[in-house]
Amino acid sequence: MNHSLLMALLILSPFVGFLINGFRYKKHSANLAGVIATTAIAISFISAILLVIDVVAMPSEARKIAVTFFEWMAVDKFKINAGFVVDQISSIMILVITGVGTLIHLFSIGYMHHDKGAAKYFAYLNLFIFNMLLLVLGDSLLVMFVGWEGVGLCSYLLIGFWFTDKEKAAAGMKAFITNRVGDAAFLLGMFVLFMTFGTLNFSELNALAPTVAEASWLGAVTLGTLFLFIGATGKSAQIPLYVWLPDAMAGPTPVSALIHAATMVTAGVYMIVRLNPLFIMAPNTMMVIAIIGAATAVFAATIGMTQWDIKKVLAYSTVSQLGYMFLACGVGAFGAAMFHLMTHAFFKALMFLGSGSVIHAMHEEQDIRKMGGLKKYLPITHVTFLLGWLAIIGVPPFAGFFSKDEILAYAFNSPLGSPVLWVCGALGATLTAFYMTRLMALTFWGKSRVPSHVHPHESPALMTIPLIVLAVLSVVGGWIGIPHVIGEHLGHIPNVWEHWLHPVISPIPGWQAIDATTEWTLMGVSVGLATISAVVAYQFYVKSPETPKKIAESIKPVYNFVYNKYFVDEAYFGAIINPLVNLSRSTWYYVDVNFIDKMTYWAGDLMRGMGSMVRSTQTGNMQQYAMYIGIGVVVALSFVIMR
Amino acid sequence: MTADAFLFWFLAIVTLVSGLSVILMSNPIYSALCLAMTMVGISALFVTLNAYFIAGVQLIVYAGAVMVLFVMVIMLFDLKKDLQAFTRGRFTGAVKIASVGLLAGLVVGAIAMSVGLLNEKTTDNPVLVGTGMESTKALGNILFSKYILGFEALGILLLVIAVGAVALARSKGGTHEH
Amino acid sequence: MNTEIFSNIGLTHYLVLAALLFVTGMAGVLLRRNVIVLLMSIELMLNSVNLTFVAFSKFLGILDGHIMVFFVMTIAAAEAAVGLALAVSIFKRFNEVNIRFFEHLKG
Repeated sequence: MNHSLLMALLILSPFVGFLINGFRYKKHSANLAGVIATTAIAISFISAILLVIDVVAMPSEARKIAVTFFEWMAVDKFKINAGFVVDQISSIMILVITGVGTLIHLFSIGYMHHDKGAAKYFAYLNLFIFNMLLLVLGDSLLVMFVGWEGVGLCSYLLIGFWFTDKEKAAAGMKAFITNRVGDAAFLLGMFVLFMTFGTLNFSELNALAPTVAEASWLGAVTLGTLFLFIGATGKSAQIPLYVWLPDAMAGPTPVSALIHAATMVTAGVYMIVRLNPLFIMAPNTMMVIAIIGAATAVFAATIGMTQWDIKKVLAYSTVSQLGYMFLACGVGAFGAAMFHLMTHAFFKALMFLGSGSVIHAMHEEQDIRKMGGLKKYLPITHVTFLLGWLAIIGVPPFAGFFSKDEILAYAFNSPLGSPVLWVCGALGATLTAFYMTRLMALTFWGKSRVPSHVHPHESPALMTIPLIVLAVLSVVGGWIGIPHVIGEHLGHIPNVWEHWLHPVISPIPGWQAIDATTEWTLMGVSVGLATISAVVAYQFYVKSPETPKKIAESIKPVYNFVYNKYFVDEAYFGAIINPLVNLSRSTWYYVDVNFIDKMTYWAGDLMRGMGSMVRSTQTGNMQQYAMYIGIGVVVALSFVIMR
Repeated sequence: MTADAFLFWFLAIVTLVSGLSVILMSNPIYSALCLAMTMVGISALFVTLNAYFIAGVQLIVYAGAVMVLFVMVIMLFDLKKDLQAFTRGRFTGAVKIASVGLLAGLVVGAIAMSVGLLNEKTTDNPVLVGTGMESTKALGNILFSKYILGFEALGILLLVIAVGAVALARSKGGTHEH
Repeated sequence: MNTEIFSNIGLTHYLVLAALLFVTGMAGVLLRRNVIVLLMSIELMLNSVNLTFVAFSKFLGILDGHIMVFFVMTIAAAEAAVGLALAVSIFKRFNEVNIRFFEHLKG
């Protein structure tokens, strides 16, 4: 089939779905709306598969389908096309987005069954997929930025979907505004890159990148990439702009799965991988990315250990896992970052949907203190969640193991990495194992703490099928990137993933192959730590539920500090938001009310005064008007005569 | 002094005096009679200008029909002498009279200045010197050929006016609802 | 004393006469209070204009002036009819035909 046609189908099919559901947003039939939306995404998914099949068929060095629909704008040197590219990187993304997207749409039909605004919900969801596809397919930073802003908008709309609840509306606002901070930096980054290279096109930027290696902090490339990275911290919830993601859990759970776990939040990682030849030329930026990523991974994991809301735990886990991806980017392991992005999309979407199933079964209850022992009520959800749990804590041979250990190996061995980063990563993995086991234990295992009036029930097939599919993917998804050290023992299984991405990933300068012993050791240490941590957590929360309380009691100040999320929100409010609000309020009062408003009043009063002076001439006496005419004639005539 | 000049001065004085009387008489019926006199004077002036047909029409339409209409209306209202014939307000009155006087002076001055230019173009049209038959015939020709559109439009206007006048006179009266 | 101005009657004389009649009519319009007299003053102004038309027609030798007079007369008659109808209308309501009843043209 024609590539342009396929591309148009891929991108526009969700948009058409959005239009259809958008125009019938008042309809209450959730099923029809869901079927329309799911069909739209399914068409997109099929087109994506067809496109990727064509890409695979190409020779490995020339795997690229570029389609330009029209010239978007052309101002002097500044030429931007509405161009879209499917290559090794974006083909992964489109498969994940449309594939996971289809499953989540399917799940949503069951989940949003009772909601009156279902048509609106599916319209937003389709619009989100459309924008996400623009983001990953765009062939220039500007086209990407359109999608970047679009997904931000959809995220805002969907977080605040139940906007009658003030807190949820505020969460949407928080997400949007925090993202705006990052977006401003993203724009600055685009300006800097355009000034330096004169283009925003990815392939041109990447081709020009090797000519500009630099080590200083204020060079154009370092500055530009740093700005872009700040943009990525906004969208991908990294320190210091991560604060919106936990609050974003106010949205419907499938939204959390699709937008705030699997796709949108990975946009920052995708952007860095897309521009990897440029980022690798700026070692300072790489260092910042690696440090921020590692710090976020540990920081968010510690908060996750103390939370009681099932979705909040998963949210902090997402922030932590995104930290891993940035850590990978920072040490030059772009392939590993993409790998973790994909496996994370599988298992985190699975866990979010699983939590959605639990919340659905518990009648909108999210507090894990009121759960426990749900294993027997929700067998399918439990088994799929269990597989996701094994994947995320990195138990071989589940998906998370391969991607996480590749990242850790790179962090240790890369010339851009260091053992310190590896320690952070391993610590993060240990903490992850702990809080995920805690979540499993408190939700599914142990004694039931379910209030007597709630009767949990397994979700319908429409919701469990996506769970099963994602569970399978969480198990096998990692097998396409089996490292060589393991692969050669299993009958020379090649690392498909590395081969696939090799042509588009820049080599790390000064890279030396890691020796097998070290790799085995690192793998063993991280898996061992995670296992020990998981066992400890199991002991704590299943065998002796009193122990964690005692420990928390004994380190109460520290516990409270972590439980309150390090008071970061409060610090932001005190240091940035409140001063800004006060400044705006005083400028409003002194400048707007007391100066500008009064000026307009004065202008009005002046006109009225002038009018009242002239008004006395308007007597209504016709003869007086005739007199004015006469005077006018006299004046005009005398002017003619005296001339 | 020739007879022509004498006739002009006589008619001019009659017309002006009766015209002034129109606005100075406080009883409307006298004003109407003075206006009729003015009309007759102007009609005679038309004769001195060899416009015989127009002079006839002036007598019939103005001095006849229009003046009869005025007198009929005055009779209908049974108007007595106005107690206050002129508008109040000394200042506006002074301004009005001043502007009228100024206008008169200016118009006369303008005529005096510009007539030198006009005299050169003055010619004698053979049509306008005869007994009147020729000029009337020429007038008829030009009216029903060159100005036929205006003529027809006037016909429509008169019809509309006739209907409008009847409608207005039948109304309850007053220009505003009180 | 030069008696030329008295004995030799030209265009100027007619025009000045017409101008004087016109301002007389205008003074009437401006100063009188009776609506019917106002209408008469307007007739006076129109007549003075007719006089200029005919005078120009004679002295320039063009017949079109007569046509204009014809038109003006028709319109004057029409205007008198409407004006008098209005006067009748006012009289019916106020039993008087004073111009002050027209003082509604103010904001």
